[in-house]
Amino acid sequence: MDTYVILRRSGWKDAAELGEAAERSSAEGERMSDDVAWIRSYVLEERDGRVGTVCVYQATSPEAIRRHAGEAMLPVDEIIKVTQTVFVRPDPVPATA
Amino acid sequence: MTEVAAGADLLERDDARARLDADLEHARLGVGRVVLVGGEAGVGKTSVVRSFTARHEQALRVVWGACEALFTPRPLGPVLDIAQRLEGFQAVAPTTDTERAGFFAAFLDELRSHPTIAVFEDVHWADEATLDALKYLGRRIDDVPAMLVLTFRDDEVGSNHPLRQVLGDLPSSVTSRVTLQPLSVVAVAELARRAEKSARGIHEATGGNPFFVTEVLAGDGGDVPTTVRDAVLTRASRLSAGGRRLLDAVAVVPASVEVWLLEELAGEDFTHLAECLASGMLTPTRSGVGFRHELGRLAIEHELAPDRRILLNEKAFRALAAHAPDDLSALAHHADAAANSDAVLRFAPAAARRASDVGAHREAAEHYARALSYHAAEDAARLSLLEGYALEIGLTGRYAEALEVRRAAIALARDLGDRLRLGENLARLPLAMISLGLNDDAEKASRESVEILEQLPPGRELAYAYSAQGTLRMLSRDNAEGVRWGKRALDLAVQVGDADIEALALNTIGTSYVMAGEIEVGGGYLERSLDVATEHDLHQRVASAYSMLASGLGEMYELEESQRWAGEFVAFATRHDLDTAYIRSWLAATHVYLGRWDEGAALAQELLADEISAISRITALIALGRVRMRRGDPGSADVLDEALDAALAGGHLQRLGHLRAARAEAAWLAGDPTRAVAEACAVYELALEKRHLWFAGELAYWQWKAGALDMAPDWIAEPYARQIAGDARGAAEAWASRGCVYEAARALSESGDEALLREALTGLERLGAQPLARSVRQSLRTLGASVPRGPRASTRENPAALTAREFGVLELVAQGLRNAEIADRLVLSRRTVDHHVSAILRKLDARTRGEAVATATHLGILEDR
Repeated sequence: MDTYVILRRSGWKDAAELGEAAERSSAEGERMSDDVAWIRSYVLEERDGRVGTVCVYQATSPEAIRRHAGEAMLPVDEIIKVTQTVFVRPDPVPATA
Repeated sequence: MTEVAAGADLLERDDARARLDADLEHARLGVGRVVLVGGEAGVGKTSVVRSFTARHEQALRVVWGACEALFTPRPLGPVLDIAQRLEGFQAVAPTTDTERAGFFAAFLDELRSHPTIAVFEDVHWADEATLDALKYLGRRIDDVPAMLVLTFRDDEVGSNHPLRQVLGDLPSSVTSRVTLQPLSVVAVAELARRAEKSARGIHEATGGNPFFVTEVLAGDGGDVPTTVRDAVLTRASRLSAGGRRLLDAVAVVPASVEVWLLEELAGEDFTHLAECLASGMLTPTRSGVGFRHELGRLAIEHELAPDRRILLNEKAFRALAAHAPDDLSALAHHADAAANSDAVLRFAPAAARRASDVGAHREAAEHYARALSYHAAEDAARLSLLEGYALEIGLTGRYAEALEVRRAAIALARDLGDRLRLGENLARLPLAMISLGLNDDAEKASRESVEILEQLPPGRELAYAYSAQGTLRMLSRDNAEGVRWGKRALDLAVQVGDADIEALALNTIGTSYVMAGEIEVGGGYLERSLDVATEHDLHQRVASAYSMLASGLGEMYELEESQRWAGEFVAFATRHDLDTAYIRSWLAATHVYLGRWDEGAALAQELLADEISAISRITALIALGRVRMRRGDPGSADVLDEALDAALAGGHLQRLGHLRAARAEAAWLAGDPTRAVAEACAVYELALEKRHLWFAGELAYWQWKAGALDMAPDWIAEPYARQIAGDARGAAEAWASRGCVYEAARALSESGDEALLREALTGLERLGAQPLARSVRQSLRTLGASVPRGPRASTRENPAALTAREFGVLELVAQGLRNAEIADRLVLSRRTVDHHVSAILRKLDARTRGEAVATATHLGILEDR
């Protein structure tokens, strides 16, 4: 599987709506575990007052990421392939999906 | 092959039997299984299967059929044996391709009628027609209450073995494997204890092979023999002289020998049969007697003195010729083993024709090769054998070898001064050469064949030569010439009454017209080809007509029509077990051009996961690449590079035009107009020369878009011509009428009109075409217009958030269609439909299809009916 960054800008009204989406995402990720693996996400405070995310996934193809997003009703603005990881230090705050 | 006498309680085989029992449970419930039992010779495959079936014989029907180790096996041998044993199954052995298809279907129906275990033994020796039968049954077994057990020597099935391909083609969902390992030291010691012998050195010498162990334990108790052969011979040496001679007679007949034949072979020695049976070296079989194991037979046969081997085979041949003149494979085998050249030349060609008639082309080729090895004289008879051989190996896909043989036939026809056959053989070269990429040679051979045959009275040979020339012209998209030669072939074919050449010529003419943009005329010819081929049961020609309609119309952007014919093709090809990858790759491409990106990409990926031909691969890669670039997803360049590598290897306009256009589009979307021009220019001249409306159109378009071209010829495809002429709205309408939603929005995006740009943006956002949507937003901003933020993925006005496609599937579910039927109706793969249906169930929180329909009706998604 390859690693991808997925931009979901201003995808949700607020944290509560994002929480629901995260649940759907996990459930769908379970079902598609051969094709996608959710690694971590950064939740963005958007300028329009909404909530967005930058997600790191592993997946067999960009199409698998889109399928996952479609099934879990998550927006996708852009999928970018990661070719290398420069690991400097762990995330300062542990992610809580 | 018979039982390895390791006793009723086989040692170390519990796992294997448990696996078989578990599979049988599925089969009993109507979910058929194919179980592959693999292991080396003598490891006890038959014993395991026999002990398994013995426990179920009371409850369900058990039938066995074995492949034989003849030099060249009997076509459909084990299938016919099993068919005979299916009570109430009336189907007669097939003698033609059409009968064969009916026979397979009837066989499957018979399995459907009654829970059955069907054992096919030693399928590593199976003939091509039997392998076709296994593939046919295996692909359809999933709703049949039957279990097919195939035993085979896995160490003799290398990667090029024909069985390998069949095993790979079986759906993994219905297949399971049981691999038998040799016995452990402990098990061998236990067997020795039961035989009241010492176990010392036996495991080491035998490697734990149960047959070998049993032979050693049955031996004289002296030194442990180091080879199976020694073990068998030691045991045989304890028989009387008469018993030993009887063993020799049995050994010349593979698998098992019928009693009447053995009497003929053994003469007075036949009286020693009881002794041999008592010794355990021979055992009764369903049709007579045989060795306990093929390894035993081989050991004895190997020891035969040459003169005695020839004598016994000669006797076997004469007896069979007198009493079973129809068993051509056995006759050819014994004639060859007796080095009786007259007999080989009489029976091998007949056996070849019989094998060819039921689709066992590999076996047919072997029979011809055998006959050729006995016929050195450079005469007309040898020429016939060469022709038959070339045809049959060509049909097995060994094109390079076929070409060599055909060249030998041509040389011989030249020497013999036989102009007609020289011309005919030359006419058979071009298409074989094309498939090997020898385009220039093909041209030369085609011209020579026409030249020679035109000097002779016109006949079917000349008609074929014309059609081959027409096909060459059509393939290189010289459309007018394709039509001209095709029509000459057609006239002559009709005159001499050859339906095959008639169908071929109609196909060439039709495809040439389609490629010239005369869709209706061309479609008419292709449909006539289809009618002629259907009427005369010419399966390959039927498939070829469907295939040309699907791929040709796809190439000409008649997308809905292309998909309709692709659906017809897939249905026909599935019934006849023909390869569907190429046409499904066109389905993937047309899905993409029709804006069904999810389906197009999913189908392309499904195809790419398999071993498929280069042309199918290239087409699927282009479909996937276009989806990725249009979405702005990564991975587009990778797949288009892979496609280019493959396309450059055998560069016809057909592949390169399509691919270079896709690569130009990718470059343009990536913001690199210079590269877009370079890609488009790479085949633009060729597309102009061949006047290919769509390739020339798209290649001109990308150059125009990148500012490197002002004008294009006026004959290019209408939508591109309009775009280049600056008629965005007219072009968009032309695209929309073909169902090309992305291309329509792209045309609108070239307008300076705010309303049209907004329409373009709506279309692009609906598709998820982000790169082009971004650029349209930019254009709107430049015009000073307010730019709407893109829509969110969740579709909240639709309570269950079904996608359009899921809704379409749900409607068919509501009509009571099964997934396979829905797949046919929507021209999707079974897998994609399964996927949609499970998504629908989940989104509607339903456990069954009925519940889903009820919920959807309640939510107002489906209309009340």
